[in-house]
Amino acid sequence: MVVDELDALKNTQDACKTIAFADLSTRMILVTDTASNLPREALDALCGQAALALGTKGKVALGEQPCQTALVANKSSVRVFLRAPDEPNDVLCCVCTPNVDVDSFVTSASECLNRISNGNS
Amino acid sequence: MHALAETLTALAAKDDIFQDGARVISQGGVPNPMAAFLKAVDETMLERKLTFVTGKATINVIAAGRRLRGIAAASPAAGDISHLAGKTIAREEPDLIDDAYALLSETIGNASRLAVHSLPPDPFGKGGERGVSAAGLAALWKIDMHEAPLAPMERFLRTNSDGINALLHLTAGNVNTTQGDVSALQDVWDNQVTAFIEAQNKLPDQDDGPQLICLDGALEDGSAAAIAIAGDDVALLVYAPDHLGTLHSTWQSIFA
Repeated sequence: MVVDELDALKNTQDACKTIAFADLSTRMILVTDTASNLPREALDALCGQAALALGTKGKVALGEQPCQTALVANKSSVRVFLRAPDEPNDVLCCVCTPNVDVDSFVTSASECLNRISNGNS
Repeated sequence: MHALAETLTALAAKDDIFQDGARVISQGGVPNPMAAFLKAVDETMLERKLTFVTGKATINVIAAGRRLRGIAAASPAAGDISHLAGKTIAREEPDLIDDAYALLSETIGNASRLAVHSLPPDPFGKGGERGVSAAGLAALWKIDMHEAPLAPMERFLRTNSDGINALLHLTAGNVNTTQGDVSALQDVWDNQVTAFIEAQNKLPDQDDGPQLICLDGALEDGSAAAIAIAGDDVALLVYAPDHLGTLHSTWQSIFA
């Protein structure tokens, strides 16, 4: 189950507050971790930010080509967006606290996304 | 007297960062570690043993009356320091001052982080030997102890210089600094940044404070690109992908 993967990732990463699995082709959040209490509008905005940062349908807002991993940091949060290597529309959207260990988190989240996208969950 | 009052005021006002009980006096090369070293000596009135710690090395000196009396020990020792350890430095012995400079430069000169413990002094030298003032050493070693602090964006960029392959830094739309091949970054600036920021601002709950956006693989050659925004400052950079964590942590330490 996708939600189990999201919950497992969140349980190992204290700095992670929300994880959502989204489909960029429809710009929809499909699943969130169990404890997520973000309202629908906030989830839509999160997905919109993922589309803007990663790029969709071969188009990019910043850079020359769609990217695989994006990080958007401000004073209050760090948002990490990851695209599945084999399914470009499968993305993980994560909201973390500013003190997140980015390297460790990106590694774990990438593994989680690969399992989800490859249908191993 | 005025300088003493200024120093005491600065000490009282400091919002210091401590790590493992040591006061962090230089982070990411800011301020210059040698300047930070001399400032620590300059702030020492009563005799103390100052233990300077980098990630790799430790050096103990004795300071008093805003003067460096001498070097007590260094670990790991950079070469043979037996002629330096325990000796009081003096202007009359310029070779000793030169050797102290060489040792300090090698031990702490390039430290990415420098912290200092202030401890009770060990017996050192003879009572009448006062050493050399921090200001005097700064003049001899051509170090500006009071260099103006860098603006936050410049501090961020300097701290990350090892991981940045190309840089286009603009202030209020005017090019401030460039480094490396900026052709791709210039294109991003000319054609995308304004629209990107506008699109970002249309998203709900956007924080209009400083932002760091890192995009791994965003350039055609697979390079990672980032944009850092703080007020009028915009920095576009190409960075090494394995530098992402450092880029983020230094950004947080400076802007958050």
